[in-house]
Amino acid sequence: MTNIVETYNLTKIYNKTIRAVDDISIEIQEGEIFGLLGPNGAGKTTTIHMLATITRPTSGSARVGGYDVLREPRKVRAITGYSAQEAGVDEYSSGREYLTLFGHYYHLDNRTIRSRVDELLELLELTDAADRLVATYSGGMRKRLEIGTALMHRPQLLVVDEPTLGLDIQTRVRIWDYIRALNKDGMSILLTTHYLEETDKLCDRVAIVDHGRVVALGTPDELKGEIHGDVVSLTLPVEEPDQHAQTIEKVRQLLSAQPFVKDVQPTAEALNIYVDQGGVAVPQILRLLEASGLTVGEIALARPSLDDVFLKYTGRKIREEKGKAVGARAAWIRRPR
Amino acid sequence: MLDGLWDTWYTLVRYLRTFVHNPFWMLILLIQPLVWLVLFTQLFQSITTLGFTSGSYVQFFAPGLIVMLAVFNANALAFRLLNDINYGVLVKMIATPVNRYSLIVGGLLYIAVTWVLQVFVVLIVSFLMGARVATGVGGVLMTFLIVSLLGIGLTGLVAAIAVTMKRPEPVVLIANLITLPLMFLSSILIPAYLTPQWIQDAMKFNPVNYAILAVRPMFLTGFDWTAIGQALVVCGVFALVAIFVETAAFRRFGG
Repeated sequence: MTNIVETYNLTKIYNKTIRAVDDISIEIQEGEIFGLLGPNGAGKTTTIHMLATITRPTSGSARVGGYDVLREPRKVRAITGYSAQEAGVDEYSSGREYLTLFGHYYHLDNRTIRSRVDELLELLELTDAADRLVATYSGGMRKRLEIGTALMHRPQLLVVDEPTLGLDIQTRVRIWDYIRALNKDGMSILLTTHYLEETDKLCDRVAIVDHGRVVALGTPDELKGEIHGDVVSLTLPVEEPDQHAQTIEKVRQLLSAQPFVKDVQPTAEALNIYVDQGGVAVPQILRLLEASGLTVGEIALARPSLDDVFLKYTGRKIREEKGKAVGARAAWIRRPR
Repeated sequence: MLDGLWDTWYTLVRYLRTFVHNPFWMLILLIQPLVWLVLFTQLFQSITTLGFTSGSYVQFFAPGLIVMLAVFNANALAFRLLNDINYGVLVKMIATPVNRYSLIVGGLLYIAVTWVLQVFVVLIVSFLMGARVATGVGGVLMTFLIVSLLGIGLTGLVAAIAVTMKRPEPVVLIANLITLPLMFLSSILIPAYLTPQWIQDAMKFNPVNYAILAVRPMFLTGFDWTAIGQALVVCGVFALVAIFVETAAFRRFGG
């Protein structure tokens, strides 16, 4: 199995101090759907910008399809399709014109361009809107068109930054289907996301990224398997708001001391208690709390999810950091420089 | 090389196609020089009584307006680029094998084309108002060359600022800070000998002034080859510097 992407100690430092990407070394195999999972600001976009030859690494290096991103950027560009987070479309052109422009920018001949444009419009279900101005497109249509531009040259590697950010659930499912179909045809895919569901449904392997570093890497099942047993999620009723934090801390200490509890992680609204056997643990937890004179709000039992994996490695829940969704209109770029 | 030329062509076509989709913009673009022509010639009519050698003010001002249009168009490309940056279009283009110079030169040519169209309007209307081009078609073509170089220089610099800043607000401020003084520190509106000495000194460092000094005689009297030579050198160097600076800004764009 050859690697489509290899990074060696890839690092990007902005303004001499902000380590956006900090020493990332990963290998992505040909034919894989590989996900970079992490909260906003984790360094996912910067990482893929370096692979798509948009951003220059501060140190370290990377190869795409065997070509070095710094020494042979043109060769990398010719085999890589890049789909941006901000639905990167030109409002002043029609969908067909926009795809055609990218065909020209990839230096394809006119006949190839014409047939590819028709093919992609068909695949992305944009044929009816093809000759309308992009200004009239919905958010989902823009994102589909945007992905289309990255596919004009049939790249070996498709790099997608947040494929479904801010889109409704039907559109998300459709885009997942396109990505799966492309992958089935042999295209390797690297995507970033902060939707755990997306990684779980789509990715062969996942790297969890936090503060510019890879904190965990494996298949979704492997990662979930690292958290043995079950997760009991416990909420406590807020009786006296100013003492609530203390109560939670008290419960955390109480439970952490129990032999059947492996770990306790406080989240914004609950405590996640990691145990071997949930069925046995729940009554024990309830008895303990009762004996200490504490009331239970809600108690629930769940199989570990990627969310728990994320929590384990970063100490935070990913959703707590979810940024505002970027819809049809992109926000002014506010990345640290 | 050939790819680069095609890249330039498709970039230019993409920009120009905006007018096909928005014919109203084209209309505004063509009306704009008319408004300037009428307003300025009326406003400054009495200047001719100060002992103007050039006859009517429209005769004096028409070549000035042609140069001025290049100055006023200087931020047009910057705003197209900011739009492309805002919508994530530019970052996508940079990820393709498109020639970097083509993205820049295609945009600059687009501005040159819009400017040439505006100049035609000025030429026709000022002709109707009684102004004549002393050097005929040759003078008009030389004017196109000199002022295109000037326009490419100004547009390229403002575009470089836009690509560096990535936001519209500072670009508006900086563009006005640069272009308006360039216009006033030249003999576009008023002959140099009617201005204070320090302004006349400042004009020596202003490419806009070199352009007008070469263009105006072609409209009023005949070819002034010394002025034309100086203008070609100054504006040509200015254009090259601007393309270089803009390319550098593009290369830094992704960080």
